[in-house]
Amino acid sequence: MKVPTEMSMAELDVGQPGEVTRVAGEDAITIRLLEMGFVPGTRVRLVKRAPFGDPLEFQVRGYHISIRAAEAARVEISLSK
Amino acid sequence: MNDRMRVALAGNPNVGKTSLFNVLTGSRYKVGNFAGVTVESREGQVSPRYARGRDITLVDLPGIYSLTATSEDEAIASAMLSGRERQQPDAVLLVLDATNLARNLYLALQTVELGLPTVVALNMSDIAKRFGMSVDTEVLARELGVNVVETVARTGVGAQALVDAFGNTPARLGNGFAGVSTLARVLTTFERTMTSARARWLVLTAAAARADSELPHYALLSPPERAAISEIAAPDLFDAARELITARYHEVDRLLAAIRPREPTRDGAPTMAYSRRIDGVLTHRVFGLAIFVVVMTVIFQAIFTWAEPLMGAIESIMAWLAAHVAELLGPGLLTDLLTQGVIHGAGNVLVFVPQIALLFLFIGLLEDCGYLARAAFLMDRLMARVGLHGKAFVPLLSGYACAVPAILSTRTISSMRDRMVTILMIPFMSCSARLPVYALVIAALFEPSEGGVVLTSMYALSTVSALAMGFVYKRTLLRGPTPPLMLELPPYRLPKLSNTLANVSDRTMDFVKGAGGMILACTIVLWALLSFPRPTIAEDSSTLENPQARATTIEQSYGGRFARALEPVLEPIGQDWRMGIGLVGSFAAREVFVSTLGLVHGIENSDDQATPLRDAIRNARDPETGAPRYTKLKGLALMVFFVYACQCMSTLAVVQRETRSWRWPVFMFVSMTAIAYAMALLVYEGGRWLGFA
Repeated sequence: MKVPTEMSMAELDVGQPGEVTRVAGEDAITIRLLEMGFVPGTRVRLVKRAPFGDPLEFQVRGYHISIRAAEAARVEISLSK
Repeated sequence: MNDRMRVALAGNPNVGKTSLFNVLTGSRYKVGNFAGVTVESREGQVSPRYARGRDITLVDLPGIYSLTATSEDEAIASAMLSGRERQQPDAVLLVLDATNLARNLYLALQTVELGLPTVVALNMSDIAKRFGMSVDTEVLARELGVNVVETVARTGVGAQALVDAFGNTPARLGNGFAGVSTLARVLTTFERTMTSARARWLVLTAAAARADSELPHYALLSPPERAAISEIAAPDLFDAARELITARYHEVDRLLAAIRPREPTRDGAPTMAYSRRIDGVLTHRVFGLAIFVVVMTVIFQAIFTWAEPLMGAIESIMAWLAAHVAELLGPGLLTDLLTQGVIHGAGNVLVFVPQIALLFLFIGLLEDCGYLARAAFLMDRLMARVGLHGKAFVPLLSGYACAVPAILSTRTISSMRDRMVTILMIPFMSCSARLPVYALVIAALFEPSEGGVVLTSMYALSTVSALAMGFVYKRTLLRGPTPPLMLELPPYRLPKLSNTLANVSDRTMDFVKGAGGMILACTIVLWALLSFPRPTIAEDSSTLENPQARATTIEQSYGGRFARALEPVLEPIGQDWRMGIGLVGSFAAREVFVSTLGLVHGIENSDDQATPLRDAIRNARDPETGAPRYTKLKGLALMVFFVYACQCMSTLAVVQRETRSWRWPVFMFVSMTAIAYAMALLVYEGGRWLGFA
């Protein structure tokens, strides 16, 4: 049996989906992450890591976005199922 | 219905906004700049075939994801839409990507909340249909309270219906946010001093500005607005911001469910399916990097090598023109002014056109097809170490060919500060005009076996220095955090060549008109400095034809006297007044160093025949001691000086043009010359101390 786990979006495995629970921080980057669609309840998926390990490519709200691990770490997710 | 109106064209990046602008205006528009900063603006009249007697001005705003600006170009779009009533446009044409409404509708809600009459263009509706993502436009129009028109910007479908809808569309304030407590409280506070439309827009900007008052938009807020913001505790402001964004996205989800009842999920990305397969190769750990190297090599070759014949042709035409003018007018001061000043100066401007056009052609095609975003994705890790965005890579690489187009191409970097850092780094990259200097010095003073190592060292030195300077500027003068990378990787699409070519011509014309005058003026000033006072001995022989007489002219000129006066300063770095004249002359363009040096040594046409100049330098002796006048160490010091010095007025002219200030070009010239001098001094004196002659 699996319990929903709290972790950050940067810790996902490639191909693994998760659901946004919260975006941490109180600055312009947080606002931008939220406005780009990372609001609670949204499903995200890690598509790929760049060849040098960073940045990461996510699928969210029907599009793909590249975000550095440092910023992606602000997006807290739960692993549903 | 209004007969005269101003319509702002807004939308996310990569939604076909430019295509639509070109369709509606028939590609007839003015390129300008929004006041203060170099963010390009395009403004055009809607062509008569669509306008049908009305006078509609269309203003193309920079692409935005939201009205909360984090960069200068976003701030301009946001300021125009959210500004006080007088500056606001009469209507907004909002372009949405019909294949990605789950994100695009967010901006739509935000725009509608501003209360401006809005017409929505549901663009790429053909692709959306092909992917089974049809939209019930009537439902969307009713729910948003605005006109919605399906368009295909590539072919012009929907353009007429769109224009007809301008002026027909009601202004409407979006839904309220009942039940969201902190937000409601914050809005009530704001609404005491401003309209509710402005209040809603202000919530997010206020929250972002609280944490970072250097945010570009903060300066645009009025004092009462700043006072209203400071009334609210920061955590409350932030909670309100979270609530507002979440509420809007809930509304987006509700709309999606209403307009696409049969679509199973908002999370899948069907239009990305084929792009993912392409990315399987293009951003692959191994193949992706290999292909990246190939693509960059092609761009580099284009501006480094392929532009050469075109540049040569421009120079030949100018030389031919100068010769004919000289023949027509006969020898004299006016002839010299026209041929060596004006025509040569015009040539100095036009000679950059091939490189600029080629660079923007490649960048435009790569951007439109979606690869430029991938290039930034691949390179971001390396650029982030310096403190820059992945987008800074291509401009820096272009700097190896020529700083002028490279600096122009920094417009893709949205943060003004990071763009400035990149602009300051670019002239350190060894451009193609420095190569003849290295080649001459190496050929004259080094053994053939040493040449390769020396040349490679110069390029390595320039690269390391550029990156180091970027690192330093990012932490001192232009201190700022590494900009967050939030870069959409759009679906791959075939670029539309006519749009790219229009952009190439805009950028080229902008350079010729904007920086051309200054380059021309500088050429004339330099010509005068190296030609006056006129020598008396040259009365009977044309100065152009007699190299010895020309050498004398230069020696006696103000420029020559200046170089002689500089000799005490040049001595510690191992140079004499001849090299000094070369340095002064090369300011017109680095490659002029070689020909000026030729003239000083009394050799004509040193551009074509480097051998006599090489031998002249190699065999030059000190008249007193008989020792060689130039040594390896002196040559090395000279090359190191050239690695760092900004000996290029065209670069400075372009920096002035791009930053709209004299501060930056002056800083660039002074700091680079100082660094160049210090490094040359280090090499020469250090070398002597170590016992090298």
